[in-house]
Amino acid sequence: MSLFVFLVACGGGTLLSLAARPGGWFGKLAGIGGLLVAFVAALLIRSGTHLTVGDMALVGSAYSGLFLACATASGLLICVVALAAGWSDEFAPAALASFAGLAVALTATDSGVALAAGAAATTAGALVIAKGVPGNGAPDGRLAEIRTIGLVAVAFMFAGIATARPPWSNPGDSPVLVLTFLGVAVALAVRSGAVPFHVPASHLGRTARVFAPALLLVWIPAGLGLLAMSWSATVFGNHNEWLNNAGVIVQLIAIATIVLGGLAALVHDELEEVVAYSIVADAGFVLLALAARTDAAAEPVRLWLLAFVAAKTGLVAWAAAVSHAFGTSNLAGLRGWLRRTPLLGLALVAIVVATLGWPGSAVYEARSTIIRLALPGSLQLLFLASIVVTIAYGGRLLLLGVLEPAADVAAARGERPHWGYASAGAAEATADLDLAVAGLPAAAGLPAAAGLPAAAESADTTAEATPATPPGADATLPGVAAVGLEEGAATTRRHGSRAAAAANPTLAAAVAAASEPASEPASTPEPEPAPDAPRKESSPWGPRLAATWRFNRTLEVSLVVIAGASLAAILAFGGFNARAASHSGIPLDKAAHAAPTPTLVPPPPGPSPTPQPTLAPFPSGSALPSGSAAPTPVPTPVPTSAPNRGDTG
Amino acid sequence: MIQLTVVGAVAAVIGGVVAITGRDSRLVAAGLFLAMVAASLVSSPEPTYTALVFRVLGALLAAYLLWAATRNGSISSEGSYIGVPAEVVAAAAAFCVGWYVVPVKPLAGPLAAQAAGIALVVLALGPLAGRNILRGGVALAVIALGISLLMEAWTAPASSLDQIVTTAVMVGIVGATGLLIAPTDVDLADDVETEGLADEEVAGQAVSETDTEPEALPATGRARRLGVREPHR
Repeated sequence: MSLFVFLVACGGGTLLSLAARPGGWFGKLAGIGGLLVAFVAALLIRSGTHLTVGDMALVGSAYSGLFLACATASGLLICVVALAAGWSDEFAPAALASFAGLAVALTATDSGVALAAGAAATTAGALVIAKGVPGNGAPDGRLAEIRTIGLVAVAFMFAGIATARPPWSNPGDSPVLVLTFLGVAVALAVRSGAVPFHVPASHLGRTARVFAPALLLVWIPAGLGLLAMSWSATVFGNHNEWLNNAGVIVQLIAIATIVLGGLAALVHDELEEVVAYSIVADAGFVLLALAARTDAAAEPVRLWLLAFVAAKTGLVAWAAAVSHAFGTSNLAGLRGWLRRTPLLGLALVAIVVATLGWPGSAVYEARSTIIRLALPGSLQLLFLASIVVTIAYGGRLLLLGVLEPAADVAAARGERPHWGYASAGAAEATADLDLAVAGLPAAAGLPAAAGLPAAAESADTTAEATPATPPGADATLPGVAAVGLEEGAATTRRHGSRAAAAANPTLAAAVAAASEPASEPASTPEPEPAPDAPRKESSPWGPRLAATWRFNRTLEVSLVVIAGASLAAILAFGGFNARAASHSGIPLDKAAHAAPTPTLVPPPPGPSPTPQPTLAPFPSGSALPSGSAAPTPVPTPVPTSAPNRGDTG
Repeated sequence: MIQLTVVGAVAAVIGGVVAITGRDSRLVAAGLFLAMVAASLVSSPEPTYTALVFRVLGALLAAYLLWAATRNGSISSEGSYIGVPAEVVAAAAAFCVGWYVVPVKPLAGPLAAQAAGIALVVLALGPLAGRNILRGGVALAVIALGISLLMEAWTAPASSLDQIVTTAVMVGIVGATGLLIAPTDVDLADDVETEGLADEEVAGQAVSETDTEPEALPATGRARRLGVREPHR
């Protein structure tokens, strides 16, 4: 039932929020409501959950439920941050559609269905691609996206054929398996933005909507990685020469991604690019796990993917919050950000900790195990290198934050809470601003005030694009209270109430113009109260609360981000039953193990089922990471079937 | 007696040829619709009515999405790079090859599905190398259809859930193509920026943007991202 509710919530939320475009509160409500319902439903998905569709069943597992809950919670986090930092009408439906596809993929017991559902989930990414026509040498984001979708769809659908193991005429199916393995790995690499396919990912800040990296580089690749891992040790576990060579190619891609991605995050100066490269670098661990082609890598990579989804979503939200707070995403302009937004600094620290962990923590062990399983001993320094690079770019961001504030940062409000009568004045100013919105168009010659909500999303840029001062603005606003308006206008000019200021450039200019005479008592016709004097004691709480809400946006966004970062840290340390869930896997794992596995090379003797020749020895006392005793098959009582289409078992 | 699967396979290839070679977007949508509907018939045993209805509805939705994205007339396919006759010959040759080669023995599905699948895959390879998004997206849908036919032939008859998911992939690909070829609000915002200005002013504005000192015209991250000018401070 919960699986059904999840799919209905995702499908319904997608359709409703798409139908409500452009703008409007209903679209936001549908998107956030859909995510919320899906999150609750995902929490209820357990190993006994199942949904029968025709002659086939979708079967839940503890890990499927936790992964979907983590993904939908991440989507909720982004949407809540987006409410303040810039809502995109396309993001929530794209996320919901992707989650629906991933839900089918992670609960299907048939390989063809699961892999095709993963391909279907990828197509939703097109919704968040915004900029297609290349200009000034900018990349064509649309072409890159359609090619990525194509590669993923073709590779995963073809993998659906290869993993079903049809009776090929030629003896042995090594060429097909090699093609399939490389196809899946390259598709995963391209979707993750791995080096050398990183260019579209690094340009997402210019070619896609805000928050798009969370969907395109984190959630979808994580789901695809889970699917690919299911077959890594069985169908692709055949250690013949061709597959070994293919594995080396994937290893090289993964190593380049981890090293160069981390270095790129260290040297780039745009926050979006730093975030994108940070995500790309950490996605390299999934490729490494895929290259390991052993069952022992499945559990750590599942745990790592949970932490990856939560931590990297937190990083995307953090970057959006910082950019929103200071109006710039250039690191030079963000000097001193930590002084103004210390909570965001804490969030960044939590995100880095959630990404790396420390010795003994679940995520640390997971990352180290993946490296141990995938790389020979001489290359295991890569683990240390990844830690150093991650600390380096995180430390660089923090170091920038404690420097002398740049102009934009100095002008910004920061996280300091604003309460009391100043806020009341601000509330009045806000109310007056709203009135001005209604009155200004006629006086200023604007076409209509009705267009304001629709323009809210991109209004900050529009505002900056047309800085004309309306004639008649001074005539419209002389009655605005001085103190409140001064504060409100200053906030409006800088960063704060973008809903009002950014919604209309003319209004912003009018407020800026009106604030100057308001600060001069002689030019203000109405009596001006003292700044600290009580104003309207009988005023209701509503406007005050509204003003408090509006003038503390930075604080509120910071609190949401730090909540998300904390959840990521908890997951990274094995909380929310992440360790046990990672042990269980997804139903496809069992289907993969039920499939006939090629045994051209006999597996090595001994209790360890890891036939990887480059496998470094485990540390003594721990047979496997995360405290698990052995990489046993999925213990869930799932009535799975062999991966033949139509065979429901 | 000619079997339904053979008729469906031939019709699917014809639809694929029309979709790949058509210049008019309506023709492309119609070809894609024909290919998707016909491909659903290439199955042994015959698909259930529910699956068939679902596939037809999916084909309708995909064709509508493509038509809706291109109906303003400003977007059309470039047509075939190598000419329609060459595409037809290539598709026919691939169909024949698919009819005679035996990569999987015994086949789990109809031979016609294998032939049509190979023909559709071969047909779609060319446009995937180009830079036209509409052609690339349509070719992608055709190649996905071809792979689904190969799956039908090589593995086993598709289950209901398989049919649903395959349809979802097709609709998703075509929907993504429609989204990516349609102008977005960001593109429109770029248009608005220069709306009402004479061409000389637009050109002058472009020159002034490149010539302006960074200090005189500081750009925020978002503004720079979207390519719009900053306000005067």
